Amino acid sequence: MSHLSRRDLLRTSGAGLLALTAGGALAACGGGSGSGGAGGDAESGTVTVWSWATAAEALRGVVPAFEKDNPGIKVDVQDIGEPAIWDKITVGMAAGGQGLGDVLHIGCDYLPGYLEKFPGGLANLSEFGADAHKDAFAKGLWPVVTGKDGHAYALPWEVNPLGFFYRKDYFDKAGVDPESLATWDDLIAVADRFKAANPGIAMVGLNKAANPSPDLDFLQGLMQLQGAFYFDLQGRITVGSEAAVRALTIIKRLEEAGMIADTPGVQSWPPVMKAGKLAVAAMPAWVAHYLEKKFTDQSGDWRLTKPPAVTPGGKRTALVNSTHLAVAASSPRRRAAWKFVEYALTRTAAVNSMFNAGGVFPALTAAYADPLYSAPSAFYGGQPVLKTFADLATDGGDPTNYSGDYARALKLVSDAQTKVLLKGADPAAVLQDAAKQLAQQTGRTIA
Amino acid sequence: MTAAVPSVTLAKDAARAHRNARRRRTAVPYLLLAPALLTFGVFKAYPVVDSLLLSFTTGSGSASHAAGLANYRRLLDDPLFWTALRNTGEILVLQVPLMLGLALLTAVGINSALVRWRTVWRLGVFMPSVTGLVATGVMFAYLLKADDGAVNWLLNAVGLPAVDWLGQPFWARMAVVLVLTWHYTGYNAVIYLAGLQSIPRELYEAAMVDGAGPVRRFTAITVPGLRPVLLFTIVLSTIGTLQLFDEPYVLTGGGPDNATLTVSMYLYQNGFRFFDFGYASAIAYALTLLVSVLGAAQMRLMGERDT
Repeated sequence: MSHLSRRDLLRTSGAGLLALTAGGALAACGGGSGSGGAGGDAESGTVTVWSWATAAEALRGVVPAFEKDNPGIKVDVQDIGEPAIWDKITVGMAAGGQGLGDVLHIGCDYLPGYLEKFPGGLANLSEFGADAHKDAFAKGLWPVVTGKDGHAYALPWEVNPLGFFYRKDYFDKAGVDPESLATWDDLIAVADRFKAANPGIAMVGLNKAANPSPDLDFLQGLMQLQGAFYFDLQGRITVGSEAAVRALTIIKRLEEAGMIADTPGVQSWPPVMKAGKLAVAAMPAWVAHYLEKKFTDQSGDWRLTKPPAVTPGGKRTALVNSTHLAVAASSPRRRAAWKFVEYALTRTAAVNSMFNAGGVFPALTAAYADPLYSAPSAFYGGQPVLKTFADLATDGGDPTNYSGDYARALKLVSDAQTKVLLKGADPAAVLQDAAKQLAQQTGRTIA
Repeated sequence: MTAAVPSVTLAKDAARAHRNARRRRTAVPYLLLAPALLTFGVFKAYPVVDSLLLSFTTGSGSASHAAGLANYRRLLDDPLFWTALRNTGEILVLQVPLMLGLALLTAVGINSALVRWRTVWRLGVFMPSVTGLVATGVMFAYLLKADDGAVNWLLNAVGLPAVDWLGQPFWARMAVVLVLTWHYTGYNAVIYLAGLQSIPRELYEAAMVDGAGPVRRFTAITVPGLRPVLLFTIVLSTIGTLQLFDEPYVLTGGGPDNATLTVSMYLYQNGFRFFDFGYASAIAYALTLLVSVLGAAQMRLMGERDT
């Protein structure tokens, strides 16, 4: 499932990016600039598309209609596999674009790294008129695909709005209606009541020791609800910002209230949730399908609502991640490649057929008018969960800049969270410390 | 004249043939060595030299450029590097004496004339050191699980409280020490065993005649007799622990909160997680320096002057 791949992708982001530099070294040896300027703008030929897993399958479904409407262009969708695709793209870019596919499926955590490390590696899509679709996608995604020069280098495809899944049975026992909780403070305020009614049940699951890998999706979600992240759009460090401190403080207070369960090891939260020990999942859209498939015995227990705001009156939407289609600058048939990207990602019929086939929640907001988004789901007690996510995506979020130093930020912030959870450290102190280290290691300035 | 020409040519030919033969003879060893030299050059010497050069560069991709000593200066100001160094030092000071002490006792035990089925014991003790890294990691991850691991079950059975082995900084470090000791004690014990068997029995017999007890025989004959072997294992274990990577990698990932972050783990993270190969190379060379200095110091302190 592509949404599962997304999760793995964000977890293992470091491993794949390895090749960015490895490939970079190759480029330096070969004297290649990695600019890949040798491409051409042919409007016909065979367009090769690199993607992975069910997303690739979904793309294949669009091909027959596209080929019928665009005689002279053939499309070959290849499932490169994830995370292998990141190494392959990196090596290809480092080799000046040799051997790259024409169309590349790239996640939000890799796109900034490629743009930063291989300037000129991806085709400038604004030249083909990509800017016309600027407002067609969920708010907050366009800056992610825009380079430092203001041009678009990809089109958004998948988006994952943050949801707040909860166990209705547990909250009912405590006499609390999560729909009425406007802020995380409100949630923490009912923690004692919740605990009294549900002994041994926690709300959130976190891998407290971050063993074997960081568990920061929850913290990142809390930051993104405030329009904040580890870096601002200029690439400056915001790890020690007030928003970050507020986010980590919420985690500290939840921990002190006994509302965070440890979910250790590679298995992470699923076994704990399967055992019915977690009452909340503040997780993105792909989880809706995952819960339904994995925890069939909890059918009817789960509901979904908007995530509470961090500050009173604050925003209750966040786009936690996204994936995109880009065109390699080295492609000899950039125009044909762009035609396919535009066809697949800006037409509601195409986008929704891919959602049905591969579970890729679309970034194209016009797609949500389709009745499939308002259909009730039995697992969620008849609630139309997709509608909630469609509404959240329509509201949009603030753009997130993962930057080329995401992996390093991830480690330092993870250390900070572990200090808070295991040693009761002060969130402001550990985050400002992390920001300083990040600045020392990357040469970036602190905003 | 006409007859001399061929004979001169013949002589010349013979000389040339002789030279060629000699050249061929001298070339043969080099030819035989070539595969080894070539692989050594490509897979050992080249990376070693290249990573030294790499340590003077920064950035990556098309943005890679020379940086002089910037990486080394950055290293001195990097708190995580010092944390890694301190962790490595603490594990070293605790683990190497513990492991070598255990190994020595095990070797003496197995070597004792009273022990039967010596081969079985020897095999059992050596077994862990041939166990693969991943198998070890998975096995101990299960044994050390906080809620239903076998180790905690044992602790509970004898009335001790359960320990969050991999979730608490102190215990995570102890878990690494435990696994490291489990993994390499047998290896060292077998080396000691070989050393023990080379000590002449007559010395023990003479000491017994002189009325020396088992403790006296151990300190006055066994330990001095093992001196070169002890030096060998101490230096190798020190180097091995300084380069410690496998155990924290499979058990703790360097956590929690960097409690088991070793220099090699940090090197790996910088190279393969953050793609900062220049900086990772600088860490590698800092570690090389440390290993050389410590190794030389140990040889100087313990080594025999006459050998």
